[in-house]
Amino acid sequence: MLEPILKVKSLSKSITAHGNKLSILSDISLQVSSAETVAIIGTSGAGKSTLMTLLAGLDVPTSGEIELLGKPLSQLDDEARAQLRGESIGFVFQSFLLIPSLNAIENVTLPTVLRGEGEDQVKARALLKSVGLAGRELHLPTQLSGGEQQRVALARAFMSEPKILFADEPTGNLDKKTANNIIELLFAMNRDNGTTLILVTHDEQLAARCSRILRIDDGKIIEQINQGAQSGQDEVGGK
Amino acid sequence: MKWEGNKLMNTLTSSKKSTRKSHLLLRWSWREIYSAQLWPVVAALVLIVACVVALSALAMRVEKVMTAEGRSMLAADLVQRSSNPINPAIISKADELSLPQSAQVSFRTMSFSDSSMYLISVKAVDSEYPLRGELRLRSADNTIKSHVLPGELWVSDRILGLLEVAVGETLAIGDAELTISGVIDADPELVFNPFDSIPNVFIHESDIEKTGALQLGSRVNYKQFFNGSDNQLVDLQNSVELQPGERWRSDEDENNRGGFIEKAKQYLSLTILMVIAMASLTLIMTCSHYVAGRAQTIAMLKSLGASRVWLKRWLILQVSLLLIIALSVGSLLGIIIEALLRLPLTDVLPETLPSYGLAPFFIGASVAILVAIPALGIPLKKLLDTPAINVLQQTESVTKTAWWLVLFPLCAFVYYYLDAPLVWLVLLGLIVLFMVLALISYGFIVLVSHFKWGPSMSLAISRLKRSPKQSIMQLAALSGSLMLIAVIWLLRADLIGDWQEAVPENAPNVFAININSNALPTYLAHFDERKIERSEAFPVIRGRLSYINGIDVYRDKQYEDNPANILRREVNFTWGETLPEYNAVLEGQWSETQGVSVEQKVARQLRLNIGDELTFTINSVQVTAKVNSIRDVYWQSMKPNFIFIFTPDVLEELPATWMVSAKVEEKDNDLLNQLSRDFPTISLLDFRVLGRKLQGMLEQVSLSLTVLASIAVLSGLLLMFTLLRLSLKQRQSEVMLYRTLGATKQRISRTLWSEYGLLAVVAGIVATIGAEVLVYNLMQWGFELVPSLHITLWPALPIIALLIVLGSLHSLFKQLLKPL
Repeated sequence: MLEPILKVKSLSKSITAHGNKLSILSDISLQVSSAETVAIIGTSGAGKSTLMTLLAGLDVPTSGEIELLGKPLSQLDDEARAQLRGESIGFVFQSFLLIPSLNAIENVTLPTVLRGEGEDQVKARALLKSVGLAGRELHLPTQLSGGEQQRVALARAFMSEPKILFADEPTGNLDKKTANNIIELLFAMNRDNGTTLILVTHDEQLAARCSRILRIDDGKIIEQINQGAQSGQDEVGGK
Repeated sequence: MKWEGNKLMNTLTSSKKSTRKSHLLLRWSWREIYSAQLWPVVAALVLIVACVVALSALAMRVEKVMTAEGRSMLAADLVQRSSNPINPAIISKADELSLPQSAQVSFRTMSFSDSSMYLISVKAVDSEYPLRGELRLRSADNTIKSHVLPGELWVSDRILGLLEVAVGETLAIGDAELTISGVIDADPELVFNPFDSIPNVFIHESDIEKTGALQLGSRVNYKQFFNGSDNQLVDLQNSVELQPGERWRSDEDENNRGGFIEKAKQYLSLTILMVIAMASLTLIMTCSHYVAGRAQTIAMLKSLGASRVWLKRWLILQVSLLLIIALSVGSLLGIIIEALLRLPLTDVLPETLPSYGLAPFFIGASVAILVAIPALGIPLKKLLDTPAINVLQQTESVTKTAWWLVLFPLCAFVYYYLDAPLVWLVLLGLIVLFMVLALISYGFIVLVSHFKWGPSMSLAISRLKRSPKQSIMQLAALSGSLMLIAVIWLLRADLIGDWQEAVPENAPNVFAININSNALPTYLAHFDERKIERSEAFPVIRGRLSYINGIDVYRDKQYEDNPANILRREVNFTWGETLPEYNAVLEGQWSETQGVSVEQKVARQLRLNIGDELTFTINSVQVTAKVNSIRDVYWQSMKPNFIFIFTPDVLEELPATWMVSAKVEEKDNDLLNQLSRDFPTISLLDFRVLGRKLQGMLEQVSLSLTVLASIAVLSGLLLMFTLLRLSLKQRQSEVMLYRTLGATKQRISRTLWSEYGLLAVVAGIVATIGAEVLVYNLMQWGFELVPSLHITLWPALPIIALLIVLGSLHSLFKQLLKPL
């Protein structure tokens, strides 16, 4: 087994609402190795998104430990966690979250700009070409279709050459055909970059393409399925 | 589509070096503003800058014009007046400061022609007089001169008639025989005081000695005139300690300035304050709206690794860009607005206007920045604190609101307006009113909801009740801005109305004094025969105030330094069955016997209360009366006015002369000449020139106020327009949802109109109440005028509010209801 890139031990998250303590995640432990693809699945409200926010350092757990890329997140403050995300983590969101006033290439260069490295237009152009958007560099998000916007988001996610990519329902807002294309692209880019992928979805068939499936229900991992090395090239939907 | 992975990896590696320092942030910020994300914020800032620049520039100009007017009436920027020759120290200090100077000695003496003699007032001036204002001296051949030269004698028109002489003939002024050079057309120091105006002449100071009029013990007035910058004048005034009988006079001098200019200035600063308040409100609303739409972007940037420092830089860059645009566009717009505002004033403003310099731009920028610090700072700080997790899950921000940012404008405000109680009154009033208005408005909505309504109205009411905080905010903003608009307009109307009442077009312009009781009926008959409008005849008796509640005002220490002038001179008393209707009674009530009514300023200076017993000495007879009322007297009104008015029983037994005022047209000039000839002992005073001057000044100030009020109202309307459109834009997704769920266009349209219509009517009603309260208090305490209710406002304001809503939202409604 490869060196774990992510270690989670006894992770719990609870919130207090109207005076009542509500447990969202309890006693979650897991390890993810480099270049592994992990799907977190479950019904709505099961706690998958919360787990992802904790794993990515967007939020802090109530108890338990997360070690990301060898760094214990509990010992990092907001700023240090942001720095870690900027250097090693990529995101793909369900609603794309592109900046409406920036064109495609500017959206893609954003991660390097945030790191203070300036705009790497050559790299961004190459990434846009690789996701099939050559010639669309100067288009604003409003001038792109949903699928095209998600491709820009994919290019943006790989811009910082992340070690881990978190994808939250990346096809949730797309039609089936476009969704298939995006998933193809996601897995291909992930494989070629040697990125670890953590995918949150409620789509069982999409999850089946990952090397491991974590099924969450009521804040607990109720099932772990190791599927061995997946080709990642199967058509979504098992065609 | 095929993923070209390996090829890409090569590109990625090789591109490492090609990274270029970007201007992405700048481009991004610019596009945020340009692509309509930030334009409402820019618009609000532009509005603040433009209004403050335009209004303060115009205010400065009007102020300078008014000051110039005041100074021209003084004949200089500053005057030292003394009953003894001017202290040489003052003159040498002025020389040291290189100030232009001029001197005047005035005294009374007898003047003789071959046939007649008369007591006249002589003003002996040097060749520099006047330093300010216009002295127009017209010689026989109609040439106009503006300075008096040695050997010359310039006389007022009346003297020619009274002494039966003509220009070119000789007149004896005391012992000096001088040839009349011509008549005085305009005297800068012309003042309205019927009892003091005896005909005057100008001679050169070098001829004083020849007159032999200045003897030991003569009553002489010395004046030294100075021009200079404000600092120099202050320097000069501080350089010497005044001796008894010496006095400085500047345009700040209340008597000279005229109350209405002071009030116009107060109105001006109030208007600017209200415009700033309204624009700040717009800024807060638009910025909150912007921030609400940006929270997810910030969370996303944080999730991508943006540090706080980076985000701060990003926001500061946007705000700076925004300020630069707002300041430049606002300043430019301010210049244009100022020029537009001046258009209607062309006739009343002098041709060459004083420059306003850079001060308005500095004030505009400072105000905008000070207001922007909390208005932008608080929501942007909140935005900066958006947790990264918000990119996936909506959470409540737990950070504290940075209220301390409000301290910036507050401290500046406190510092600037420390000694302006009117401004504080308004500000406190506004804060309280805004809160009260919001609650009353919401109460109205709740009240309305208890009635039975159709489906559209019920939906609208339930929508307003569903989000009380938002509805209250919206109502407060709407009724607040409507109220301010109404206040600005009403105050303008009230002030102008008050002045017009005080100085009406048909104000008397001729006064006859020293009419003895026997001549009175015949004299009055002359006016009445010609149907000339005249006042009733007032008995006039001169005397002094001697005792207040038995305390001798000339001996008792407590009155030693009292500012009341009347303790040092004789004044004119009158008596009557009633008080003149143009004197408003502020306190007490007119009594039938043993009473005296006192002018309010004198009452205040002497700390008089209703019921105080005053004793007067009139020709060594003492009379006593109790203060029955305190009156407001508008001295500029050019009507017969008195400090003390007695009930008839107190004075009617004493010998009195009579005075009467009349409004005389040009066509009746011959009557004036005839009256002067037939009744040589009666002084007939012609104030037609001064009257026109006062009317002109009033017209100018009124017009300025109207223009200023218009611009303020316009900015208020812009605020409401912005507010309404922003609030409707927030409803876009909701309307879309209704449409998706199958609601008909008609239903949505009716619901929206019901909701905004209800908002408008409620805000209109509440704003009316607020405006009446505010205007009442401002008139009463701020402007010290008699407040009144404005009945037409009651139906007008809700209707205006409805029209504003209709105008602001009509196009947006159509847009919202477009097919999906």
